[in-house]
Amino acid sequence: MSAFSALWLTIILSACAQVFLKRGVTCIGSGAPFSYVSLVKSPWVWAWGISFVLATGLWLIAMSRIQVSYAFPLLSISYPIVAVLSIFLLGERIPASRWMAIAVITFGVALIYRSS
Amino acid sequence: MRPELAVEVEEEAPSIPVRLEKVRPNTLAFPWEVAALGAIILASCGHLLIKAGLRSAVLTTPAGGILTRLVHYLLHPAVAAGLGIYGLGTIMWVYAVSRRSISFLYPLTALNYAIVTMGGKFLFGESITRGRWLGIAVVMLGVALMQFSMKEEKR
Repeated sequence: MSAFSALWLTIILSACAQVFLKRGVTCIGSGAPFSYVSLVKSPWVWAWGISFVLATGLWLIAMSRIQVSYAFPLLSISYPIVAVLSIFLLGERIPASRWMAIAVITFGVALIYRSS
Repeated sequence: MRPELAVEVEEEAPSIPVRLEKVRPNTLAFPWEVAALGAIILASCGHLLIKAGLRSAVLTTPAGGILTRLVHYLLHPAVAAGLGIYGLGTIMWVYAVSRRSISFLYPLTALNYAIVTMGGKFLFGESITRGRWLGIAVVMLGVALMQFSMKEEKR
């Protein structure tokens, strides 16, 4: 596998992982006190864990061959991906100011990407 | 402070009777801001440590497939330590995520850019072009703007 396909797989997997995690802690969270123990029972938390481990392994492969200050900023393309997923899968409401912030962050990432 | 003491109901949760009288009001929830920031800092340190380890581990990469290489990398002490620190950050992150929207929290991890880029420059001598600095500044601006969307979300 090329370092770049490993990097892109990392991005997609880590975006999905965050949505899975939020889904998992939300199911548990419905009013009950937060507890790490109850997390283990949630299939969403397991989905997060598995995506996370896979993404980390792929990240190691990518990072061993790409400069860290180049590979790392690319990961943040997953911010808009997470935002979109959170609307459809979690029903989160994203105010205009947050879209603005996400757009600025994504633009910043594009700048970093271009400069390399 | 024990995380189990948290009673502050997270933002999307329906209002359900929480027995507030059982919990002392001032020692309530571990602040999510501390958890989120701690998670970000620990993740950055973990990444830099992993990179430091990989820099020496790749010198002795054995012949073989992805799995062989991966095991070789994971067994390097600095890589293992980096993953451990990253894991600690993750535990804090899980808590932060339980308290705020993911579309708000996740972009905050862009703070990693400053820390890791500086680390790449000062620890490993990686170069940072002017355009990349500009991009990092814009990302930081976005993180600052993100704070405005928090007020609209609160309760």
